[in-house]
Amino acid sequence: MRSRLALGAVAGLAALGLALTGCSGAGSSSTTSGGAVDGKGKTLDVMIAANALYPTQQQKWFQDVSAQFQKKTGATVKFETFASANDELTKIQTSVLSGQGPDIYDLGTTFTPTAYSTGAFVKLTDDDWKKLGGRDRFVPATLGISGPDQKDEVGIPFLSRPFVMAYNKDLLAAAGIDKPATTWDGLLAQAKKLTTGGVHGMAIAYADGYDPWKFIWTMAMQQGNTILDAKSKKATIDDAAVKKAYQTYFGWLTSDKVVDPAAIGWKNAQAVAAFAQGKAAFLPMVSSSSQVSLDASPMAGKYAYAVMPTVPPGATKLPSDGKAAATIISGDNMVVAKYSKNQDLAFALINMLTSEDNQVAYTKTFGDLPTNAAAAKKIEEGNQLLTPILDAGTKAYGTPFTGAWGDTQLALVNVVVQSIPGLSSGGVSASDLQAKLKTAQDAAQAALNKSK
Amino acid sequence: MTATASRTAGRRPAARTSGTRPISSDVHRLLPRPLLVVVIVVLLVIVLGPVLYMLFASVNSDVSVAGGAFFPAELHLDNYLKVWTTVDLGTGLANSVLISGSVAIVCAFVALATAYVLVRHEFRGRLTFLRALLGLQSIPGTLMLLPVFVLFSSTASLLGIQIIGTRWAVFLTYLTFALPFSTWVMVTYLRGLPKALEEAARIDGASSWRILTRIIMPLSWPGIVVSGIFAFLLGWNDVLFASVLTNPDSRTAAVALQVFGATQEGGAVPLYGQMMAASLICALPVVVLYLVFQRYLVGGLTSGGVK
Amino acid sequence: MTETTLAAPRGAAAPGGPGAQDAPSGRPGRPARRRRLDTRNRPLWMLLPGGILMVVIILVPLVVAVVMSTLDLDQYTLQSWLQAPFIALGNYVEAVTSSPLLRSIGISVSFAAIASVITLPVGVAAALATQNRFRGRALVRSLFLIPYVLPAFVVGTLWRTMLQPGGVVDGMLGGLGVHPGLWLNGPLSYWTLIIVQIWTSWPFFYLLVVAGLQSVDPEVHEACAIDGATWWIKLRYVILPYLRGPILLALIIAFLHNINAFTLPFVLFGIPAPQDVDVLPVLTYTTSFQSFRFGLSAAMAICSLVLIAIPLFVYLRAVKLDSGEEEQR
Repeated sequence: MRSRLALGAVAGLAALGLALTGCSGAGSSSTTSGGAVDGKGKTLDVMIAANALYPTQQQKWFQDVSAQFQKKTGATVKFETFASANDELTKIQTSVLSGQGPDIYDLGTTFTPTAYSTGAFVKLTDDDWKKLGGRDRFVPATLGISGPDQKDEVGIPFLSRPFVMAYNKDLLAAAGIDKPATTWDGLLAQAKKLTTGGVHGMAIAYADGYDPWKFIWTMAMQQGNTILDAKSKKATIDDAAVKKAYQTYFGWLTSDKVVDPAAIGWKNAQAVAAFAQGKAAFLPMVSSSSQVSLDASPMAGKYAYAVMPTVPPGATKLPSDGKAAATIISGDNMVVAKYSKNQDLAFALINMLTSEDNQVAYTKTFGDLPTNAAAAKKIEEGNQLLTPILDAGTKAYGTPFTGAWGDTQLALVNVVVQSIPGLSSGGVSASDLQAKLKTAQDAAQAALNKSK
Repeated sequence: MTATASRTAGRRPAARTSGTRPISSDVHRLLPRPLLVVVIVVLLVIVLGPVLYMLFASVNSDVSVAGGAFFPAELHLDNYLKVWTTVDLGTGLANSVLISGSVAIVCAFVALATAYVLVRHEFRGRLTFLRALLGLQSIPGTLMLLPVFVLFSSTASLLGIQIIGTRWAVFLTYLTFALPFSTWVMVTYLRGLPKALEEAARIDGASSWRILTRIIMPLSWPGIVVSGIFAFLLGWNDVLFASVLTNPDSRTAAVALQVFGATQEGGAVPLYGQMMAASLICALPVVVLYLVFQRYLVGGLTSGGVK
Repeated sequence: MTETTLAAPRGAAAPGGPGAQDAPSGRPGRPARRRRLDTRNRPLWMLLPGGILMVVIILVPLVVAVVMSTLDLDQYTLQSWLQAPFIALGNYVEAVTSSPLLRSIGISVSFAAIASVITLPVGVAAALATQNRFRGRALVRSLFLIPYVLPAFVVGTLWRTMLQPGGVVDGMLGGLGVHPGLWLNGPLSYWTLIIVQIWTSWPFFYLLVVAGLQSVDPEVHEACAIDGATWWIKLRYVILPYLRGPILLALIIAFLHNINAFTLPFVLFGIPAPQDVDVLPVLTYTTSFQSFRFGLSAAMAICSLVLIAIPLFVYLRAVKLDSGEEEQR
């Protein structure tokens, strides 16, 4: 039928049209040499995480930033928020694919390697760093996840959210414990002592989608295993160090019994709830974001933070090839899209946001730690609660900088997810664990092989 | 039987609500009374049980909900106030109502027109069209996300019409995704309508358009309402497409709701209380709309309309 | 004039068939003239709005998706996707042989079928029960809609909180002395998904059946009463045939929807998904948006599309849903 042919032709032409525009060219960068950047009449588009804990404050911060920037350069700032990291990744993909979207993205540090691997974000030259206020204004540890090496950095550190352990001051005092141990074995012993009555030593979220791999990574790093070696493209999951990490992690529940049996079904929120209701003494793997929830709970004033152990399980001191990793480098990096037509303006904004005053003000409002070294020193004075977190930030190590890390992370969590039925009925056998490690190893290696 | 036929011939108007006939309701009852009561009570319990949990959770503290509590230890009624400022729920709801409402209306009528041609007229490729419509239902959303985005962004660069970020993007997407199913609902429904009225009108020289608007439409309110509801809900609850195709001004409520459920790694408990409160608030417009429109969901047949 | 006898359903249903093919009730011997009438006044232009929309916004992106499935499209090649290496069927081979695709399809199809079939009687019962007026019917009808109206991720979060170890459901069942074990992981998780899906989607059947019930000829009720038919006989032989169309449609649509339902399992179980509920949409989502292997994910989705389309069309022909010719009773 003629009309059907016509329809087919339309479809074909449309597909061809799409094909022609599928090649997205890189956006031109308007370089204005030296001096202040002029952005009159322009608008910068920034994509940032929606802060559900401080929503009204965040709205005010958006307005203040835009006003401040307008005074400085004449350009306004429009903020776009996303709800979860998955949403932002999807947005990045659609923007990269189409060559249009926000100028600046505020990314979680663990996703910076993925963004880097798309090749769609500006690699910072020395000149660019100058426009940003200089590379040395930042806390050195926070730069560890900006790029695979110093020459190829895309991420500008904006916020720091190191992971630490929260502990119940009252419970520890009652058991005669001065402060949490600095070795995993020591911590376990303390936890056993604290497990009495209805209280358990630790609150661990086994069913969480994010927490488990950080424990494994930390313990493996401390034994000298970096999980992935990006340079030699080798995955080392099927390894004794990783096995020991999993066995320790599972053992807390099954053999040591310092964790509530219900924890096999806990996501992070349930673990926090258990700690907040005074049912657990230690709550590892939290960041300063937990302050809001804990201060609004019966635990307000009764908890403190401590750096997580830096000595691997089964040892009393750090092995020679081990890394004293207290936490992953966690926080937010800012990246500038190559398709952006206002790259210098973007650098100016990031410069402003990472300046000492802006960073101190941000910390005071939202609780996340600054990446500006001067600002970090300033907030240390007079805030006992944050001191351990700042300390942990200096002992942070970056996860392997490769596009394969996303799949590796998933594989590490998958070992836990598929072990949960076994854990609930008593434990996971060594051979079973070995088989799962092999699966994870294969998945990570496959992803590494594909990486460029 | 003739007694029945003569009684009913030529007496009933085009659309009437059930119950105007002076017949004892027992005749029209489909299930015996006790069974009817049991069914309704059981279903209400099944439906309202978890909803009751939602209600309690919406006034509870987030930490308690995370811990699995049912009854609130302390009342946090301010959750219902906080939801409006934590996210721009007002704008989100307005956008959602506007977009979903327009989708529902337009979809219902386009579906009606399409279904009318498919059911009452024969043309080459009719069966293929019908089968293709159903086949389109099996396409998963995740497959279409990037290609649809490519489509819209290409339109922007080729024709200069910026679609992404405007309400048109999601409106067109939802409308098109809702069409296959809505059309099928109308097809199924229209098949049950007797052709006598249309034939009479055709003999009288009415055009297809007149037949569609004057005769078919008034008779098909139940089908229209149901396909409209499905189209509405498709737009109302979709998150995947809305999250990439909208900007803050055109954000829908479904996307705004995501913020409540977002877990920030590191110990911040999701805002369960506000999420449940916001969900109940967002469910309200649909339930109210249904309350209003469900009186159209009544038999509209005029078996006696043919003289 | 229409015959209003117990045979009415057949008479009422038959005219819905293809306009020109069958002999209309009560008007034998004039098919030739009717066919010409219909073909002459075909308002095919009415197909245009829907047709154009569907071609542009569904078919064209589908073509793009097929193209993407032949490319090695991942995070490294996304930026200029047309220049991604062309690997023809490479993705399809990988999807079928080394990914969990076939297993996921199995889980998804069985879950979808079971959920749809169990939900059917619930929805039909609800529609039958609320058909007749009683005080508060409007409210009950609207309340029934709530599980379907709630967004999928809210339903997922709600049930995940209720089903967590030591949560409300475990508490209630524990009070009755029943300890089923883990709901959200392990072998029971498959049934959890089915139960939650039934809870949230039975109003869908309910709505379609309600619409179908409206086309029941009211005289039929009187005829049954006069004939002294019991409610079961009336239901089975008179009312249900009216509902054949809506029920068959609802079954297939619910089946397709359940196969592609992504949000509910995603929120209920999280990713990575436990073995027993590694359903297809979660797999394609993770492959696409977590592992960033778009080409592979497109190939997976198209594979599943083809695999599902075959029984779909078999079903269509078997129940003659497409052509609308009811079996002659």
